Amino acid sequence: MKREIRYGLSGLRPRPLAALAAWSVPQALPASISGLVLARAVDDGFLAGRPWTGVAWLAGLLLAAGIGAIGTRMVYATVGGLVEPFRDRLADRVVSGSLRAAVTGTDRGSGAVALLTRQLEIVRDSYAGLIVAVRGFAVTAVGVTAGLLSLAPLLAAVVLPPFALGLALFAATLGIAAARHRRAVHADERLADRVGSVLAGAADLSACGAEAQGRSLTAGPIRDQARAERSLAWVAALRSLCFVVGGWLPLIAVLAAAPWLIDRGLTAGTITGALLYVLYGLQPALNSLISGVGSSGLRFVVTLGRILDASGAPEPPRAAGAAPVEPLDLEARGLTFAYGPYSEPIVEDLDLRIPAGDHLAVAGPSGIGKSTLASLLCGLLRPDAGTVTAGGRELTSMPPADQARHRVLIPQEAYVFAGTVRDNLAYLDPEAGPGRIAAAVDAIGAGALVERLGGLAGAVEPSRLSAGERQRLALVRAYLSPAPICVLDEATCHLDPAAERTAEAAFARRGGTLIVIAHRLGSTERARRVLTLDGRGAVLREQEPAQIQPSS
Amino acid sequence: MNGSGRGLSFGDAVARTRRWLPLICLASVCGALAGLALPLVLADAVDSAVAGDAVGGPLALAAGLIAVSVVCELAETFAEAAATAGATARLRGDLVRRALAIGGARSRRFETGDLVARVSAGAADAASAGPAAVGAATALLPSLGSLAMLAYLDWTLAAAFLAGLALVALVLRLLTARTTAAIAAYQRIQGRIAARLSEALTGRRTIAAAGTVEDERRRVLADLPVLRGHGAETWKVLASAGAQAALVGPLTTVGVLIAAGVAVSTGRLSPGEMLASAQYAMAGAGIGALTGVFAALARARAGVRRLSEVAEAPALEYGDADLPPGTGRLEFRGVSAYEDDEPLLEAVDLVVPGGTVVAVVGASGAGKSVLAELAARLRDPDTGEVLLDGTPLHRLGHRALRAAVGWAPERPVLVGATVGEAIGSYGSVRETARAADADAFISRLPSGYDTPLEDTPMSGGEAQRVGLARAWHAERLLVLDDATSSLDVITERRVIDALTAGEPTRTRLLVTHRPGTAARADLVVWLDAGRVRAIAPHRRLWDDPDYREAFG
Repeated sequence: MKREIRYGLSGLRPRPLAALAAWSVPQALPASISGLVLARAVDDGFLAGRPWTGVAWLAGLLLAAGIGAIGTRMVYATVGGLVEPFRDRLADRVVSGSLRAAVTGTDRGSGAVALLTRQLEIVRDSYAGLIVAVRGFAVTAVGVTAGLLSLAPLLAAVVLPPFALGLALFAATLGIAAARHRRAVHADERLADRVGSVLAGAADLSACGAEAQGRSLTAGPIRDQARAERSLAWVAALRSLCFVVGGWLPLIAVLAAAPWLIDRGLTAGTITGALLYVLYGLQPALNSLISGVGSSGLRFVVTLGRILDASGAPEPPRAAGAAPVEPLDLEARGLTFAYGPYSEPIVEDLDLRIPAGDHLAVAGPSGIGKSTLASLLCGLLRPDAGTVTAGGRELTSMPPADQARHRVLIPQEAYVFAGTVRDNLAYLDPEAGPGRIAAAVDAIGAGALVERLGGLAGAVEPSRLSAGERQRLALVRAYLSPAPICVLDEATCHLDPAAERTAEAAFARRGGTLIVIAHRLGSTERARRVLTLDGRGAVLREQEPAQIQPSS
Repeated sequence: MNGSGRGLSFGDAVARTRRWLPLICLASVCGALAGLALPLVLADAVDSAVAGDAVGGPLALAAGLIAVSVVCELAETFAEAAATAGATARLRGDLVRRALAIGGARSRRFETGDLVARVSAGAADAASAGPAAVGAATALLPSLGSLAMLAYLDWTLAAAFLAGLALVALVLRLLTARTTAAIAAYQRIQGRIAARLSEALTGRRTIAAAGTVEDERRRVLADLPVLRGHGAETWKVLASAGAQAALVGPLTTVGVLIAAGVAVSTGRLSPGEMLASAQYAMAGAGIGALTGVFAALARARAGVRRLSEVAEAPALEYGDADLPPGTGRLEFRGVSAYEDDEPLLEAVDLVVPGGTVVAVVGASGAGKSVLAELAARLRDPDTGEVLLDGTPLHRLGHRALRAAVGWAPERPVLVGATVGEAIGSYGSVRETARAADADAFISRLPSGYDTPLEDTPMSGGEAQRVGLARAWHAERLLVLDDATSSLDVITERRVIDALTAGEPTRTRLLVTHRPGTAARADLVVWLDAGRVRAIAPHRRLWDDPDYREAFG
């Protein structure tokens, strides 16, 4: 809880905070003077036979209300100025955290969407609620105490102890409440996770007639979430009881003590004034503190905790280093990798040297480890044993940005995103000019596609592209990359053979090292060397590459 | 045929909590009544004390009324939690059911991330429609009750109060519409940011290799300033609402207090009753509570709308017919399919004799996948009919259709707790996995078929083979939409061997880019720009250069 409170406090930037404190003073004015004004109006005015004096006192309350309204408006506006940047900072953290977890393979990030929508919203609302409640409570409590003291110190002695007791009780229940909220948030996340994975496969489930299976997979998390939500009602009940002590007991105490107080010389006006302070000042303040801290505060701590757990602070932007680099020799030694502690190694004790400028095809039946090898050669997976070096430097010791300058990988699942065609194509070389892009589009044979999408400024909508079209865009993108080592991991599998030939020919002419994870024989025939994996080991053979020519 | 769903109305959402609404209503009304009686009792206590009488009687009565209002509050809390938790769960269940029923056509309407947001946040908001409506209805009770009590005390009080109330009503009218609009705009942008994050997470391997986490972060968050703008809008609405409340609320109270003071000075009211009139004035103009009520209503309305959009989307509906005996004769009669008025397939007439192997070939965008989806009834034609063994597909019962027809896509999304569950429950899981050449790699997993799906990273080829195994059970028609494209040639040959072996008891429809696969089919359907160009055996078509071009 400390971490969340610290994080919350760090969002209170001094300037808006000072403005908030300043605007709180006029906002609290009506509540602070209300009892005092009523006491004077009654004692010196209405009961003293001078009604106009009483009216004048009460009119002063109206003036205070006008000043208070200005304070209120400014307080909300200032709260927005604290909350919106806080939300932005958290959104940034969630997005970079989940992206980073996804690329390092620690998490597929399906819960990230829930973090970014519902939970971030909860944090935003509750942060604002908390600020408003705590600030309002503090200001009013101070104002009312001053008012009571100036009215009659004896009254303060009657009112304040039960009020403080209610406050203490409330503080004592916060622990239970936090635990229940935490459970509810956890249930929320699991629900979003499960629904996401089921709905992503809606077409598949429908084709299998397995809609019922999809529903039953989500039923458990939906039920758990409802249960967690219901158990929160108990927390709300506890809070109501705390309000009875802190809000109603002072009132009863004043009334019970009234005969005794009047014996001590207190007037009808002072008693009504004191009661007005309880009803008009303390009760609303306590109420908004309890609902603010009790609901907003707990939701804030728990939800923020989940978000902080699931994300990391954003990294500083990487240094732009787009300068072309010389191709390096890649070398694997004793390379071993298995997906899990119980799995058989997918790659075992592999030695392989890929000199700069080589054209290597990796062949073998699917599932045999070709993609894994590609990931290892690209430094995306950490070997269980052995090393991969580029120019003598171990890959795992190179920062990702450095690695990216040396090699480009295009996986089978081509990644395109909503944006312009140009954004998608110049992804790896933002400086690429239209001429270079056009040449790359031509070389890969994506001219017709780009034209259909409306040229470089056209919009890409990933869900409307076929897998083959996505691959074409990804290939152009890789072709434009300044990195000299290029790894095509079945990157052409959705293209027809001629288009594949065209693309591979383009990459062969591009220069640098080309590593092709092959799924068709054609790719192996065009390579200078072929590494065949057969599940027992790897066989490397050199060959005269088949004549590469672009298709007619 | 396509069943356009009935939308979800606000009334429907309210009805989801029907059982609880009477209790919520009762508790709310009783609590309000106790609250209305309390000031009079307190007035009695104050006046008794001032007059030097015993305060025990009124004090006990006041304590009793406080107890009643607390009990009512607790009851309302529990009933509301039970109602919304239950309704949320049911709305979520319905939404998942609907999204799954929309099935294959879904991805063109809703991104998965957006749907998840609707399930997690939208459903919770919509479920609060009933309590929010009750809250809005009963929110008036304190105002009206207070008015009655003021009139009972003195008619001048009621007149002063009514003048204030007119102002309050004016403020409320202005508020709801603006809040709804601001929240809806905010949620839309938030959904867009979440959808972008979802999209980026699908490209994790590309992003990992390119070291472009930072660029992705910027892209996903690009709309954050827009979100902040809409956020500021919501704060502005709140600020002006809050300021108006701070001004209007005391205006009423002070007006009533002045009227009461005058009545005190003429002896019509006691000081205690003056305090009571202040309390009634505050309860009546308790605009702070009312704005909360209407904000909840606005949020519920926005949630209902987001759910309704999904409920209105057309979904596949099933008949109740069974298939007559047959071997899977597939017939398209005048079938056309459109999207956004663009033709995908036009006037397709074809007959595939039962038990044959038919290949579908054509260049990218020729309509092959649409034809496969129509044959597997993942979508319905906009005109014409698709028949299997003489029965229109849309007339078949759910079980009859899905047992008869299987569909394996090029990019299967696997759903299930374990790998075995993802393959499904038709027939023997292991047998179908063996046929699809998936048994070997699944057996290598830590717990074989019982390995949790989320712990099983798969290559595209592996996923395709599991997807094939999932569809293998099909009794009359097995549709493979490029479903072997990620397999290497040797594995693919083995799969096609298994597919074409045995008795011709079912039809097999293979969308393919590979001439070798087309050559093994009895018949080839050659599609060109959404129309059937020819239906003939591969060897008869092969001489046509246009046909060869269709392979690339």
